[in-house]
Order: sequence, then C-alpha cells, then structure tokens
Amino acid sequence: MSFNPLDHRGIPLDKQLRNWRELDVEPIDPDHADPYTRCRIIAMNGIEVEALLFSHQFARNCPSMDVKRQLAEVRYIEHQQQKAVNWLLPGSASALETTIAYEQVAVDLTAWVARMEPDPYLKQAYQFGVLEDFDHLYRYSNLYEMVQHRKAEKIVDGLTEVIPGRPTKYHHRHPHDNVREPYDREAAAPISKLHALTIMAAEQQTMNFYMNVGPQYMEPIARQLYQEIGLIEEEHVTHYESLVDPGETWWERLVNHEYNECYLYYSFMQTESDPRIKAIWELHLDMELEHLRLACDLMRQHDGREPEEVLAPELPQPVTFEPNKAYVRELLDTQIDLTTLGAGYVREAHERFERMQEEIHGGEAPPSERVVDEHRERFGTDYRLSTEGEHPVPELREPRSDRQ
Amino acid sequence: MTVENRPEHVEDLIDLLAGQHMLIRDLFAEVQRASGDARDEAFARLVRLLAVHETAEEEVVHPLARRSIDGGEGVVEDRLHEEHQAKEALARLESMDRDSEDFAAAFAKLRAAVLAHAQYEEQYEFRYLRAQHGPDRLRTLAKQVRIAEKAAPTHPHPGVETAPENLAAGPVLAVFDRVKDAMRGALSRNG
Repeated sequence: MSFNPLDHRGIPLDKQLRNWRELDVEPIDPDHADPYTRCRIIAMNGIEVEALLFSHQFARNCPSMDVKRQLAEVRYIEHQQQKAVNWLLPGSASALETTIAYEQVAVDLTAWVARMEPDPYLKQAYQFGVLEDFDHLYRYSNLYEMVQHRKAEKIVDGLTEVIPGRPTKYHHRHPHDNVREPYDREAAAPISKLHALTIMAAEQQTMNFYMNVGPQYMEPIARQLYQEIGLIEEEHVTHYESLVDPGETWWERLVNHEYNECYLYYSFMQTESDPRIKAIWELHLDMELEHLRLACDLMRQHDGREPEEVLAPELPQPVTFEPNKAYVRELLDTQIDLTTLGAGYVREAHERFERMQEEIHGGEAPPSERVVDEHRERFGTDYRLSTEGEHPVPELREPRSDRQ
Repeated sequence: MTVENRPEHVEDLIDLLAGQHMLIRDLFAEVQRASGDARDEAFARLVRLLAVHETAEEEVVHPLARRSIDGGEGVVEDRLHEEHQAKEALARLESMDRDSEDFAAAFAKLRAAVLAHAQYEEQYEFRYLRAQHGPDRLRTLAKQVRIAEKAAPTHPHPGVETAPENLAAGPVLAVFDRVKDAMRGALSRNG
C-alpha cells in the first residue's frame, strides 16, 4: 500500500480555520489510554512546534511580503493543529508524569528510527542518543516515586523498561563534541532526512518542556534534576540538528518540513488504536497535504526546481510506536561506554571530556546520582521496572545485598 | 528487597496524603475495569478510602491551610464544596446497578471531579503547607493521622463480619459519618 502525498489534494487552506468549539478537544484518559497514543500525541506536538519555530525563522529571513503573508497564514493553521494535538493531554496528569511519557517517546521513537535508518553514521547518532534518554527515564521515574508516591510502570505500562542506561552524569560533554557531521543533501536517502527532522523536533520539544516546567517544582531534588537533564537536552538538540545539511535552501527545508508532517500524520493514522484520535490524525493529514502543495509551489517558483527531485516517490514505512526492549538491551550491552570526540565516537574518556566533567560536577555527585541515592535511602532500593531479566551490564545491576 | 516487596514508605503528612491521592486514582481505574462482584468489592474499598482520606483532610489539612495560607479561607471553602458534591454523588451511585451504563457514566463524572479536586489540593494547599511548616511538625501530623485512620472502621471482609469490620458496611453517608466520628475521637486523644 503506497501513498504519495504529492498525488493527493487536501482541504483548501481557506477552509482550515477552526472555531473555539472545534478546538476544544476532549483529552485522553490519564489511566486507561494506550500509552503509545500518549506517545504519538507528544511526538506530534513536537513536530508541530518545530513547524511553527521553523516558519517563524523563515519569515524573519524572508524579504518577500507575499511569502511572509503565506507563511503567516499556514503557520496560524499549524498553530491550531498544535493546540488540538497538545490539548489532548489530560490536566489531571502532573508535569512529571508527562515528563516520563516524553522520555518513553524519546526511547521508543529514537530506537525505532535507529532500527530503520539506512545510513550507518546517522544510525550511530540515534543509537548513541537513545541510551541517554533511556537513563533519563530511569532517573525521572525514581523522582516520580519520591515526590508523587506512584510507580512509573503505571505510565509506561510495561511497554518500555525502566532500568539504568548510560549514566546521566557522563552525558555532560564539551559542546564541541556534540556537533556531528551533516548528511549530504544530494546523496542522502529521503528517509534519512525525515528521520533527522523527526528526532530533532522531538528533542527540541523536550528541551523546551523541561526548561519551562522544571522551576514549577518545589522539591530541591526535582528542580535540580530538571536543570541537569534540561542541559542534556540542549546537547541532544545540538547533536541531532547538526545531522541536517545546512546547504538545503529555505524552500527545500520548508518542503521537507511539510512532507515530514504528512509522513507522521499518515503513520499515526495507520497505527492509532483510539478511533477518536485517529480521526484527528486523518483530519490533520488532509490539512498538511495542502500545506505541502503550497510549499512545493513556492519551491518551484523560487528555487526553479521540482520538489520531486528531493522527495521520495512514496511515503516510507509508517513510523511505529512499539516495544524496543531487545534492541535497547543489545545497545546497552555494546555501547554503554561510548562518548563523543569531535564528530565521532570513542570509548575512552579523553582529556576534553574529563575537563568538562570536572568543571560541571565540581567534585560533587550531580542531581541524577543524588535522586537515586535519596530514593535508596528512603525506600531501601532504587526504582526499576525490569521485564526481560537482569541488566545486561553487570555494574548496573541492583546491588546484591539489597536483593532478597 | 526489590521494588515489589519493600515496605510502604511515608515521610510526612504531605507524603501520606499525596500517596493516598494516587491510591484513590488507581482504585477509580480499578472499579472502571472490573465488573460484577469484583466491581462491588472495589467500589466498597473506594468508599472507605475516600471516607478516611477526606476526613483526614477536613480535620487536619484544611484547618492548617485556613490559618497558614494567604487566601486559605477561600481555597478551603472551594475544596469543601467539592468534597460535599463528591460525597453526594457517591451516595447516588450506591443505589445504582453497578454494571449499568448509568453507573458507568455517573462514575466517570465523579472520577474526573475527584481527580481534579486532588490536583487542586496538591497545587493550592499541599505545596504551601510544606513550605510553611517544618518537617518535624508535618511528620508528627502524619503520625496522628495514621493512628486516627487505624481507629476508623475497616471495610467488611466476607466471612469476618464481626463488630468493628461491620461498622463500615451500610450506606455511603453512614460510612463517612462513622469514619469521621472514630477518627475525630482518635485525633482529639492524640492531638
């Protein structure tokens, strides 16, 4: 079953504006919804937020009044899409609960992309990053039980394991070592461009979310943990955005953004378990098809090129949220001790890495370590949700003396 | 010790009550998933937990919030109004067929109201109480509440219908009254 978004006409732009009643979406149930429905909502919100921020940047760099007006018109509709999507999250879930869901997105979306990515250098970038998000999930889950007296398994529902990944304290690298080499826009497969945009958008939204909700907590350890992991999200956005070829023209980038939105709405429409939410994905796909058509017209007009030259002839396999437990465990087993040096990866702690570590930790245990220490102190153990046997890395197993 | 078998851990009054909010939330979900006798049984546990929890809040948290939070009077009035509404809704649910669609709809409404109520308490009362009262005071209050909760009648277990357990049987409002009387007595003895 193939789908080429360029062959389909969507809803005309002047029929896309929604009134308040139409925007007032019913949120998903905090305790009965499919966890992967929540993941799709969070991922799609990240995609829409990137669409908005990109369009604003484009407008600020664009001298043509006509183009600015068209960007503003489409952007307003995309902003309504963002509202309709993100407002599906229920108010009865706390920010920390949503944070844990963000990390579940980061783990299962990045792992899926890593599995599907054809380019080995790009694949390595996703494999590297996923082990860090995986550890963030574990740290926040320990915080969750401490401040909210609830276990993260109620949120991830056994679909994603909650066990240590690459320890968060080692994620603090010199900023130069977070910059990767970009793909080549002429040579890269279209799917590689979509993957890079998707993961960049997801991490960017995570960064934005943590920088805003972190100070709303009163518990010192919560405030500090959000600061620490928030700074790692800065590293991740740097890591992923540098994969995108900066030689792409603004028109090409706009087309790629709109195409990617079509791809994700189409994917989620194909894989959604909740019929009510599926209808939203379908409606938004019909809107995006028109946004893509308009972007393609701009590219033809201003770039003098056919969009087909840079796009795939049909949408790739749908992006799917599904458990990646065995894959993540294999990465834990083989890549736990990687760090970056320049645009590449090494196993040994090099001088620049060690200097950064010394300076940022200041000789003390960082919040990501203290949250687990405090949890052990109060509850006798750390919090884990391990469904597939003992941890593949012996040093990261639960201490023997604590086990019965 | 592992995550599954370690003892329950409670630090202070806020931990205790926030933890109960999570238990209430999970029990609401359990009632919705269950049917038949299992639903009756989960519903009875929910009534009992709500009675104990709301009494602790009415007797301990709200008076403290009235005194120590700026605007506390108004905040507490709003919460008491919500608690009153919830209690009435619970009493109405009791007479309904628990496997009926009417019950499911009314129960879903009550659940949304109670979850929102709990969020408001955490945001507008708990966070300020923790900022304004020392850890010793909050720990002492937690101890008092736990003793009072132990004095409250428990829900009836099938086959052990002896006096104290049976106290929790009967109409919802009677359960709330008996729980409140027992806890008040215990709190005034230990307070």
